[in-house]
Parts: sequence; structure tokens; C-alpha cells
Amino acid sequence: MRIVVFVKPVPEAETRLRPSADGARLDTDGVKWVLSGYDESAIEQALLLKEANAGSEVRAVTYGPSPRSEEVLRACLALGCTSAGWVEAPADLPPDVRLKVRALRQAAVRWPADLYLLGQQSLDTESGLLPLALAMALGVPGANGALDLAFDAARNELSFERSSEAGVEEWRLPSPSVIGLKQAKNDPRSAKLQNILKSRKMPIDRIPAVELPAAPEVTGNANRFRFELPPPRTGARLIEYAAPDEAAEKLVRVLREEAKVFP
Amino acid sequence: MSGPTLLLAETGPRGLQAASLETIGVARALAGEGPVVAVIFAGPSDTATAALAAAGADKVLCLRHPFLEEGRGAACAFVVAEIARELGVELLLVGGTPFGREVAGALATAWDALAATQVTEVRRTANGYSLKRPVFGGRASESLELAGPRVVLALRPNSFGGAPPTPRACAIEEHPVPTIPPALLPGTRVRVRPAESSAGPDLGTAPIVVAGGRGFKSPENFHLLEELAASLGAAAGASRAVTDAGWRPGSYQVGQTGRSVSPQLYIAVGISGAIQHLVGMMSSRVIVAINSDPNAPIFRVADYGIVGDLFAILPPLTKAIRTARGLPT
Ligand SMILES: Cc1cc2nc3c(=O)[nH]c(=O)nc-3n(C[C@H](O)[C@H](O)[C@H](O)COP(=O)(O)OP(=O)(O)OC[C@H]3O[C@@H](n4cnc5c(N)ncnc54)[C@H](O)[C@@H]3O)c2cc1C
Ligand SMILES: Nc1ncnc2c1ncn2[C@@H]1O[C@H](COP(=O)(O)O)[C@@H](O)[C@H]1O
Repeated sequence: MRIVVFVKPVPEAETRLRPSADGARLDTDGVKWVLSGYDESAIEQALLLKEANAGSEVRAVTYGPSPRSEEVLRACLALGCTSAGWVEAPADLPPDVRLKVRALRQAAVRWPADLYLLGQQSLDTESGLLPLALAMALGVPGANGALDLAFDAARNELSFERSSEAGVEEWRLPSPSVIGLKQAKNDPRSAKLQNILKSRKMPIDRIPAVELPAAPEVTGNANRFRFELPPPRTGARLIEYAAPDEAAEKLVRVLREEAKVFP
Repeated sequence: MSGPTLLLAETGPRGLQAASLETIGVARALAGEGPVVAVIFAGPSDTATAALAAAGADKVLCLRHPFLEEGRGAACAFVVAEIARELGVELLLVGGTPFGREVAGALATAWDALAATQVTEVRRTANGYSLKRPVFGGRASESLELAGPRVVLALRPNSFGGAPPTPRACAIEEHPVPTIPPALLPGTRVRVRPAESSAGPDLGTAPIVVAGGRGFKSPENFHLLEELAASLGAAAGASRAVTDAGWRPGSYQVGQTGRSVSPQLYIAVGISGAIQHLVGMMSSRVIVAINSDPNAPIFRVADYGIVGDLFAILPPLTKAIRTARGLPT
């Protein structure tokens, strides 16, 4: 089974978020980049499928700037991916998913696969648009929010569950498909030290930005003009009370009169 | 603006999704005096269609096709894109459900549109639309300008309060289903099990959510949470510690690997507030924490807190809420 996993570097969870000087974006100075949470699960899922299907290959692919792209690709190699692909891009992409689709489609054509796996959404921008946008562009079936994928080689079929407003849905999609993953069966594994060392010497295949097809007419124009932090949470206002009854009554009063959250 | 403002409504086991109703109010506000047309994959006499017609749309287009009713994002997007082109639409809105996110993504390609999800504020500008959305699990927000000609927005549930739009005379029409390319249809939805959830509203879009954590100590104690939920007409949720232990079904889980919620009010009971839990609920409008440990991280993101034993606090709290809302106690 050939699997391509699209991964995105995001600032590590502990990052103190700060707007850039112009207020338009996140200040990435000194940020440590790690694999986005759902992408970690997607890598885990791909490795589980690889282990269950002898002779499988897992390629991690990212679209973005240096050095964060190589860093996360090396992390994927250390986890057990067999190869890595990097589509070069400038750091600040406008918030238009079609640009990413164009770049990643190039990678999908260069490295054909039985399964194109993504996270269900990025942990930083949380858009969740890419899986289906890419499926449409590749002209193959797509689904987002999948849990715990299995591959039936004889039927060339992928099966998974996902939850929707209708309930828990059980799906089978023919391969190749594009799937956005919510969760693998296991929590993501961590890399062994010896594999981290080995990954440093592994090659990364590059698609230079210039090899991308000349921009077709991109209609419309998207730009990010502000990045802001919510007013600092000062911490909870604690309800003072002597007995539980008093706590209950005081809370009901503030929710009603101050927060105005229920009639 | 040339064409009408289009919205795609979603039906679920309980009829029209609350998220779709919210969409109409926003479409109305953005459309001004222009027409608002809603698309629904249901019949003209279905209750969801009636609810949609009563909510302020000028026209409802009903399309019937089993694959569309299964909520296949790609097929639905293809059909909606055809209609949008036919009507000369510039703005298309969907609710912020898993279905809405899929359709918005597929529409970016199928309709060659600019797209954004989780939108919490939006207004028209000279060039297109200016909008705001939470990022980093609610730890920050970004503002975008999307300068059309075609824009699709998935709205974050419970973000657009305000008065419901006034109903208008609404035409309900059946619309023929464009031929869906076979490439968009393979795959089988083998079956759907109804989510094992409490009797209340759907967790993903409920205006009030109460969630319980390991502090409940055993599954037998969860009736205290369900009773609190019932007193508020809220959906009940849980931390992953609870769903992993099998105390509550997986469909209750809130957080990074569970549901993302953004209600008006979120009450976390016996939940410590691990980052993976917080990213699923931090953009709730008002957060209340009840926890016996004053140092629990949940108090740092909460607006109001009660430091105390949930077993002592919940029964009088449920009672006080029932009294305040005029319900029998
Ligand atoms: C990859 C990954 C994904 C994850 N995804 C999720 C996710 O989606 N959602 C999620 O929730 N977690 C998730 N987790 C788990 C998360 O890290 C925490 O372990 C989990 O949220 C803890 O649940 P809890 O708060 O119920 O339990 P605990 O952390 O054990 O907290 C229990 C709390 O109850 C309080 N308490 C105890 N007794 C009482 C009492 N009598 N009265 C009042 N309070 C009391 C304690 O003070 C404590 O704060 C994930 C973890 C990983 C590694
Ligand atoms: N720059 C990128 N390079 C590779 N994959 C990406 C990139 N951005 C997003 N993805 C993938 O698409 C998923 C959904 O991202 P998004 O639609 O941006 O929320 C992520 O979890 C990744 O798997």
C-alpha cells in the first residue's frame, strides 16, 4: 500500500502567541514548530496501515517554507515514514485554500498513492477545508473526520467510522481516496533516539516552488489583516460561599443577571 | 450584488439543524433587501423545509437524491455549485457542522471560491467580506478579507445571536438535481448508528453544554450531570478520561480528539482542564468550572468558578436552576 500523508508544521502547544509588529499575523520569531496534532494522528494511522500491509510505503509531504518544513519532515521520518517530500513555498501564504490545493496536487501527481491522508484540520488556523478541496481537485472520493482506518487489499477498499449530526456513520471508500483523519486507533507514538539520528541523514525530495505550474487565473483575493489575542483571561471569578446552597444560588444569579446566559 | 445570497441547509435526525437556522439570520443581514435563497436536500412538505421557509428565506429549493441526503460533501458541493452558477450567486453560507466544513472545502474547488470556516463575525466591505474567526483553539483570532467574486463561509455555531429574522412570504420549489459526475459517488455509507447521547440537544451545536470529568469517580454518579443538563435544556459532554474509561459513550467527548463546541455557556464539572480538552471548548462565550482543586488549570480559562466538591454542589445547583427557570423541582 502506498500512502501519502500531508502534514503541516504548527507552533508547539506551549508557544506564547503574540501578534507581529503590524498586527496582521502571528509573530513567529523564536517559535518552535512541531507536527499539527491531527497530522500526528494521521502519521500514526499511516504507520499502523503500513505495519498491517506488508511492503507498504509511507511518504510525508509538506508545503511550506524552510527550515520548519524540513524539521517536521525529519520528525516524520524518525517516526517511521519511508520517504519525505517538500513542496517549497514562501512563509506567508494568503488564506486561500486553492493555492494549497494547487501545490499539493502537484505532489499527489508526482507521488501517486492508494491513500492520501491529512489531518481533519490544522491546529493553528483550524480551517479543515483542505481534505475535501483536494479530493475534488484530484477527482477521487474524499471524507473528513475519519476515525481508525482499515484497508482491505483484496477489495481495494478503505473503511472507517466518523461521527456526524446523523450519528456514527460507517463508510467504505474505494482506493485511492483523500481522507482527513480525526483519530487513529492509538495515540501517536514518539520517535526512538536512534531513529531521530538516522532521520537526519535521510534524503528529502524537493519540488522547488518554480516547478509549480504557472498560476492559472486566480479569481478573488484573500488576505489576513489582523491577528489578535482575546482580552487576557484574568482567571475565574470564584464564588465565595459558606454552604453549597449558597454557592448554587450565587452562581445562578451571576449567570442570569451578569452573564445573561439563560432565561 | 447581482445574484441572491444562497445558503445550504442541513437536516439531521431532529429535523432542520439549529446551525442552519442561525445561517438564515446572517444571510438576511448581509443580503439587505436582496433575496435569500435556501437549498435543502429534502422534500417540499418535509418538516425541515417548513421550518426553513418559516425562518426568513425568500425561496427554498428542494432537491431530492439519496446520495445528497447521505451528506456526501463532494456530491453536495457539486450540486450546490451548479445552482450557484445558475443563479449568479456571490455569497454562499453553510452551518459550522462537520457537513458544513466538508461542503465548504469541496466548494472552494467545485465553485472556484474563496472559503473560510468557523466564522464568528462577518460584514460586507467595498471589495467583498471582512470576517473574524478564532484560531489556535480560541487562544487567538484572525481577521480576513475575502474579496469575491465567489465566497463560501461556514459559520461557527452559536456565534450570531440577535433577533431571529422576520418571516417573509416564501416560495418552496422543487429543483431538478443536476447530473452528478460518477467520480463523486463511489463509496458506501454502510450504516448509521444514532449517537448515544443524552436526551438533550446535539452536543456540537447546543447553546449550553455541561461536561463531566474524572471527578465524578464512577459511571453511577453521572445522573448528577444529566440532571444538571436537563435543568438547563443543555447537551451533556465529557472529558476523554471519562469516555476512555467507558463511563460515557465516545460521542460525549469534548476536545481535540472529540467534538469541538462553542456554546453560549459551558459548565465543566470535575474536569482538570488539560490542553487537549481546552482546545475543544475554549471559545465558548461563558465558561464555568466546578472543581475541588483550586489550582486546576480549568480555572484559568473559566469566567466563574466554584471551588468545591461536585457531589455537594450539583444537587443544589440543579435545584436552584430549576427554580429560577420555573421548572418543577
Ligand atoms: C493525543 C491526545 C488527545 C487527547 N484528546 C482529548 C480530548 O479530546 N478531550 C479530553 O478531554 N482529553 C483529551 N486528552 C486527555 C487529556 O490530556 C486529559 O488526560 C483529560 O482531559 C483528563 O480528563 P479529566 O479532566 O476528566 O481528568 P483529570 O485530569 O483526572 O481531572 C479530574 C479533575 O476532577 C477534580 N475532582 C476530583 N474529585 C472531585 C470532586 N469530588 N468534586 C469536584 N472536582 C473533583 C480534580 O481536582 C481534577 O481536576 C487527550 C490526550 C492526548 C495525549
Ligand atoms: N501547508 C501544508 N502542507 C501539507 N499539508 C497541509 C498543509 N496545510 C494543511 N495541510 C493538511 O491539511 C489538513 C487540514 O488543514 P486545514 O484545511 O488547513 O485545516 C492538515 O491537518 C494537514 O494534513
